[in-house]
Amino acid sequence: MAELRNVIVFTIGAVRYAVELRWVREVVSLGFVTAVPTAPPALGGVCNLHGTILPVLDVGAVLGGPPGPPARQGDGALVLETEGVVCALRVDQVDHVASLHESGGAIVDAGGKPLTLLDPAVLVRLALELITTVGTAEPVP
Amino acid sequence: MSDLDLDFDPDELAMLRQLFRTEAQDALETVTTRVLAGGSAKPTPDALTEMMRVTHTLKGAAGTVGLNTMVDLSHRLESALAAFGREPSPWTPATADLLVEVTDALRGYLDVATSPAGEPAAEPAADKIRDQIDQIARPHRRPMSLPPPFVEPLPEPVIEPTLDGAPIPEAKAWLRVEPERIDELMSSAGELLFDRTRIERRVQLLRTVARDLARTRQNLHDALDTPNVPSRAALGEAESELAGQAALLSQTTAALLDEIEALRRTIGELQKSLTRIRMGPARDLMTHAARTLRALRRATGVHVELRTIGEDTEFDKAVAEQLVDPITQLLRNAVAHGVEPPEERAAKGKPATATVTIRARQDGNLLVLEVSDDGRGIDTAALRERLVSTGQWSATRAELANDAEILDALLGSGVSVRGDADELAGRGIGIGIVRQTVSKLGGEVKVSSSPGRGTTFSLRLPLSTALAQAMLFKVGGQVYAIPNVHVIDTTLVDSAATTATVRHEQLPVLRLEALLGQGTATDRRAGIVVSFAGKSLVCTVDKIIGPREIIIKPLGPLLAPLTLYAGATISGSGKVQLILDPAQLVRRAYPDAPDAAIDDAGSAPMVLAGRALVVDDSRAIREAMTSMLGREGWIVDVAEDGARALQMTRQLRYDLIITDLEMPELGGFDLIVHLRKDERFKNTPIVIITSRANPEHRRRARDLGVRALVAKPITRRKLLEALATR
Repeated sequence: MAELRNVIVFTIGAVRYAVELRWVREVVSLGFVTAVPTAPPALGGVCNLHGTILPVLDVGAVLGGPPGPPARQGDGALVLETEGVVCALRVDQVDHVASLHESGGAIVDAGGKPLTLLDPAVLVRLALELITTVGTAEPVP
Repeated sequence: MSDLDLDFDPDELAMLRQLFRTEAQDALETVTTRVLAGGSAKPTPDALTEMMRVTHTLKGAAGTVGLNTMVDLSHRLESALAAFGREPSPWTPATADLLVEVTDALRGYLDVATSPAGEPAAEPAADKIRDQIDQIARPHRRPMSLPPPFVEPLPEPVIEPTLDGAPIPEAKAWLRVEPERIDELMSSAGELLFDRTRIERRVQLLRTVARDLARTRQNLHDALDTPNVPSRAALGEAESELAGQAALLSQTTAALLDEIEALRRTIGELQKSLTRIRMGPARDLMTHAARTLRALRRATGVHVELRTIGEDTEFDKAVAEQLVDPITQLLRNAVAHGVEPPEERAAKGKPATATVTIRARQDGNLLVLEVSDDGRGIDTAALRERLVSTGQWSATRAELANDAEILDALLGSGVSVRGDADELAGRGIGIGIVRQTVSKLGGEVKVSSSPGRGTTFSLRLPLSTALAQAMLFKVGGQVYAIPNVHVIDTTLVDSAATTATVRHEQLPVLRLEALLGQGTATDRRAGIVVSFAGKSLVCTVDKIIGPREIIIKPLGPLLAPLTLYAGATISGSGKVQLILDPAQLVRRAYPDAPDAAIDDAGSAPMVLAGRALVVDDSRAIREAMTSMLGREGWIVDVAEDGARALQMTRQLRYDLIITDLEMPELGGFDLIVHLRKDERFKNTPIVIITSRANPEHRRRARDLGVRALVAKPITRRKLLEALATR
């Protein structure tokens, strides 16, 4: 990868991520977050976005790490749209729109700082797998 | 009381009066529309004639259902209208206002008079209406009424009769639907029944084939089990039976797929008709708005006119009903706060009469309703200051926000704007209500304003909504819903109980506080009795909120695997509330029940009586026999004549044959003769159904070993008797 333009850089906890701008539909401040009992930690809850039900994902948990802080009203979020799925990622901070480079096998921003480039399609697939596993599990009597 | 009591029993009369009420509301609506269409001008002669005609019809209908005061009132109204038709009598803006007032009052009167309390309960209102009608005819005698000194509170535009003691019955919501839309629906529904019958028949046939296959296999198995190698003939017979069964299986499967395709099409049609049935033009809503504005104008003295655009835009009538209040609120706002005083308008070079515009249009799947005024607009600088001074926004945020974001704050979306804060922007309280209603309908409100030129509120809503009744309750601080059709009762459950007795039945208890987490523990908990597919259970919850009308939203592909939820809804304050799937609750309460027993409600395992063939050239008789025999556990095939029946008997064995005598191609007796020659049908019970049975017929039937001869028309009892004959 020589250069990847138009990515949006954001921070969750201490980790810096990036996602290509073309997948980002909106940057919003979350409305009331409704918890979804029985769902895996990867699903932080659901929100009302212009009258539709918006799932809010916990990126850390989706990627198999520890879940971040629970999504709450007023938190920042990136609304992504990929393969017919609209979902939000709860973020702590949206930094800037930037261009990324590859340097020594790592993806870095203009300042040379490394970050993780997310592929929304993969993210959604992982989340769907996690939710499906829980959703179809045998009910506990 | 009256002669009418002899004609109708009370139930019938009540029903007739409800019908009359709907009809009368339509007639009054016509009068209102015609008056409003003319603005302040006198209606055209055609319009006047139309108004007189509907009033006249109203009078006649009122007499039929014995509402004599209503007869008198409509007679007076008709005469008053006739006066304008005859002579150049003065028609003033006050005349139009009075007429609208009268029709509104008549509506209120009708609600009471057609209730069980009847006309006597509405009598006080009638006197007032008589006075009003008299004033229409003699406008100069109208007493001077002083305009109220304050702009607010504005009066409700609907005039309600004040009654002593008698409570005003809550008006039922009526949906007016064009007859042809109902016809479409009926025809789709009828088609659906046929589709179902056809599919059921194919499925029955499949079951038979499965049974036959099992029998053939058993025969083969038995043959192979014997010490001697089975004869070539026996194997050949089994092979040919298998071939016939396999052919039938593939035919039936192909036919079944066709029929399922047809079913899919019919369901599509049905959905379309159902959507259409709920759609109506924006005109009704706009007529209502015109009436509201008229009342506001009279109350405030503000010179304002209504312009409507897109009256033919069609959308859900249920949505339209819900929009009456928000639109009224927005009109009040425009009149009270948007429109400048005349001198200010003159200074700005604006026309003295302000214009409020309601525009309806369709945008994809959305209805867009815009209410705009040409007034002073919203002072965003003042609103910005206010947001900061009340501590709701930081100074930086207010500085960075653009005007659109500031206006959004007015609607309270995303941030909480307290009632006293939006007051300052020159907007009355109540905008929050608009947002709340629209949000509940699944839409959103946007406001745009241009200083000195006006303000536009635009409401964007789904064209059609799936409204459903649901029981709302709280668990662990969150609100959930269960579709109300599956809720049969509510009860109280002891803290540790695993079962509860409801209506003398022991039901399992499902602890939703455990399932949904973080429930608060109390001694006795509220329980919702849920029933699905014949199984009931009690769900314990923290608090029951009660039944509500909700809009069901799909959860989307990502959440679809969470089968516990059937969907979600959005509350008035914009929060998502999850809807629990009753099937899943039952499954959790009855972990041992097979899935099929829960999914496939009502299909009890059938005791098979055998397979029957019905031969008749009348489709109605074939259908009737299929249904009668089906209830007795028979699997039924049908043939329209003897030739076809013979063809079918070559492929399959039947345990019972019922045939008509006179048919095209091959008659009943010829069919029986052929059958009796076939080894497989030598002793098969045969029943003849016929409309004329003479002694000769009876003799022949006896000779052919026919079990019974039944005279048409066939009743279930006759059929059962024939089958019981030995």
